[in-house]
Amino acid sequence: MTRQFEVTLRDGAARLGKLRWKERELTTPHILESKEDLELLKKAVTDNEELRVEVVSDPDDIGSREITADVVILGAALRFERDPRGLSRALMSVRESINPDAALYTPALATPANLSMLVYAGVDLIDTVLPEVKAREGFVLYTDGEDRFDETQGFPCVCSACLGTAVDNAAIEQRIARASEHNQVALRAELSRVRRHIGQGTLRELVEGRCRATPVMTAFLRLLDEAYPYFERRAPLVRTATLLACSQESLNRAEILRFNERVISRLTQREGILLLLPCSARKPYSRSRSHKVVLECVRAFRPFINEAIMTSPIGIVPRGLEVMYPAGNYDVPVTGKWTCDEKEWVRGRLIEFVEVNSFTTVIAHVDGPYREICDEAAAMLDVDVVYSVEDEGVLSPVALQRLEEMVKDAVAAHSPKRRDVRFDYIRDTVDYQFGKSTSARIFLSAPKVRGRFPTYYVSDGGRRVATLVEKYGTCALTVEGARRYIGKRASQYCVWIDDFVPKGTVFAIGVQRADPVIRPFDEVIVLNDNTIAVGRALMSGWEMQRSNRGAAVAVRHVEDR
Amino acid sequence: MKRTQNHEARDQNVSASDIRANLNDHHVRSRTQPVAWTGWDLLNGETVPTLTVVLRTRGCYWARRKGCTMCGFVCDSNPSATGPDIYREFLGVLARFGKEFKIIKIFTSGSFLDSEELSPDVRNAILAELKDVPKTIIESRPEFVTDENCEEIARSNAHVEIAIGLESSNDYIRERYINKGFTFRDFIRASKAARSSGFTVKSYLLLKPPFLTEAEAMRDTIQSVKDTTEYADIISLNLCNVQRGTFVEKLWKKRLYRPPWLWTAVEVLTQTAGNMPIICDPVAGGMRRGPHNCGICDHEIVAEIRRFSLSQDKASFKTTCADKVLWNFVLEFEEYSYGAPLVP
Repeated sequence: MTRQFEVTLRDGAARLGKLRWKERELTTPHILESKEDLELLKKAVTDNEELRVEVVSDPDDIGSREITADVVILGAALRFERDPRGLSRALMSVRESINPDAALYTPALATPANLSMLVYAGVDLIDTVLPEVKAREGFVLYTDGEDRFDETQGFPCVCSACLGTAVDNAAIEQRIARASEHNQVALRAELSRVRRHIGQGTLRELVEGRCRATPVMTAFLRLLDEAYPYFERRAPLVRTATLLACSQESLNRAEILRFNERVISRLTQREGILLLLPCSARKPYSRSRSHKVVLECVRAFRPFINEAIMTSPIGIVPRGLEVMYPAGNYDVPVTGKWTCDEKEWVRGRLIEFVEVNSFTTVIAHVDGPYREICDEAAAMLDVDVVYSVEDEGVLSPVALQRLEEMVKDAVAAHSPKRRDVRFDYIRDTVDYQFGKSTSARIFLSAPKVRGRFPTYYVSDGGRRVATLVEKYGTCALTVEGARRYIGKRASQYCVWIDDFVPKGTVFAIGVQRADPVIRPFDEVIVLNDNTIAVGRALMSGWEMQRSNRGAAVAVRHVEDR
Repeated sequence: MKRTQNHEARDQNVSASDIRANLNDHHVRSRTQPVAWTGWDLLNGETVPTLTVVLRTRGCYWARRKGCTMCGFVCDSNPSATGPDIYREFLGVLARFGKEFKIIKIFTSGSFLDSEELSPDVRNAILAELKDVPKTIIESRPEFVTDENCEEIARSNAHVEIAIGLESSNDYIRERYINKGFTFRDFIRASKAARSSGFTVKSYLLLKPPFLTEAEAMRDTIQSVKDTTEYADIISLNLCNVQRGTFVEKLWKKRLYRPPWLWTAVEVLTQTAGNMPIICDPVAGGMRRGPHNCGICDHEIVAEIRRFSLSQDKASFKTTCADKVLWNFVLEFEEYSYGAPLVP
């Protein structure tokens, strides 16, 4: 049982935490800077008194050994300095086999260039040993790599160690001393930057930039991205920070893969007419000028058709999920040119989306690269794709008029059932969050939707059931909604707690059992024999079960069960 | 020592012989002739010419059974060697080089006194052939250095020096990190047996077995020199190098082992010189697989170590280099890497 360490904030696998040690409270990620601390930690491996510390030297061979220490040291971590495959495997394997509320230490491995990536993978403790070694080997370290300093020149830097201490023509010992100081300052500066990014939920954006320093680090990120389950298990349902998709690696983010996985596996099946639209810079798309113009022209037919937006890097966004993260909150460089990777990715998502639904007609109001993608997809699909744009542009009156006629004809030909367009947002969001067919279970008769886009309140049978929250793009359930969701056999998205009335925050220590599928920011139902409550998860369900410390759920409403 | 750290890696140690079993054929060098070379060595304070002969016997029985973590000599052996072949080849070497050496070393990549490797007839014939050479050095594991064996060979040659690979006086290190399979007490007994037949004893010490930090290795060897003084007439300091098909090589490839710094060897030699002769031949010195420093000063220091071995004069060590700052840092901080060398 972990006693001295607590995770206070998560950003994927990265965490901010507190380590209580020798009457100090250290904020992690933390740099062990003094030789005294290194020595104390080493002693703790054998003493195990206040702080329990264990060394794992062979991550492939932990087996059934139960590791319950406060701090786990990846022994000889430095062996992986130039081995991204070994490092990614070792870090994930250790992290998965120790308690989530244990701090992970990679001794003598961190540099200003790799610090962000180590923390991104789940490391909590580092030290200044390697930067000090590198200085003595003749290297100055920066976040973008290292430079060899030679015997005549200074090195260009304005950090506190370098300012005002010219070492041109100084003795080698002096030059080494300054480089050593510089390297440590650079590590500290990078640490504070990393902490800030975790706080903002943007460490991934930092890491996608940092990994460019060396091929080894780019490989490290790509290898980490291959471990989708590891990061998906830790990725929040939503973020308030905008997802910035500035690199090729952005396509591999766990949040993006999960979004597409759920669009395919969780949403209610659609039929009839699909209208494909290009994405817009402004989010949610409906607020953009281009979407307003297009939607205005098909307004009368919207209750009869399905809309979906094609976008890089998200893929295919059904209209009802346009507020949901990351669809509602991302940005991407727009040049009018798409890379092959982007095209291939969106094409694949489009094919999947059309295949799992049963559309009779696909109308694509797109041009340029979007049209190329549609053409390639259409060649592999049974459904015909018709285009309402030729080469005059999607907002040209001719194209818009053509669109209106095509939609009108299609609706007349198929006479689909009328829906409440606003309810699509609720239905898709609820299914996306809670699983396939959830909406059918919660909304029994004819749900009534009130409110202004995108803040919608849904009542059903005269009782408020759910609210679409603009800030997160998620559906918050009322206790009534929760009762309908769990039905007779509570299981998914439920957290079972000890016998107390949950108020405010439920801590991990009070959690008996939690659905492992829960992710940070998920809406969850908190239960014991006497009470039922709804709230927002602050950590993943599997983490609630395996942690002894930390806030697990922020409770919103409680009622007797 | 170090019972907590590295124990997982250390327990892989049992597989040292498996590693050899899996060796590719091209690693096993099968020779048709014994290897021999000449050189210079120290005898009673004088630099004298020496001849070294490596007989191709079947090799070390221990290497085939369990094996030491750093030893690749088993690759040099000849599993089908017979007594008459070996003796004939030995005479061939003598015919080529003559006997005009002050020291002749007869090695077998195993134990000269192991009668499974070299029958008593052959070994006595070889030693008798060399009875007029001022010193004949043979190598053996201590279990074969018995009163009986020593008395027997003393009848063929009275000027024998028996070299024993003690490696370290620390039983834990020798047993767990080197996998040597005998104790310091075994060595002491062997030393007494050799001396009571009038032989001298050379003790091989290994600088930097696997799983030790640079500082621990340095301390261990300095302590081993002190512990051995009473039981040996000369110490040969072997700087561990990475031989093919060894457990040490496996660790080295995983960046879990680095051969010792030449600075460490210099430090051991300067700290221990004076009481008894201590010699050192930095095999593969300056190479990645051998003892090395930064790459700039290596060549000079290797030469100085060789000069020291012949002169026993600490003033042989004159070189200084900027990497000594790095070496000092390594001595102080390597233990905090929990098993990886700080500098490759």
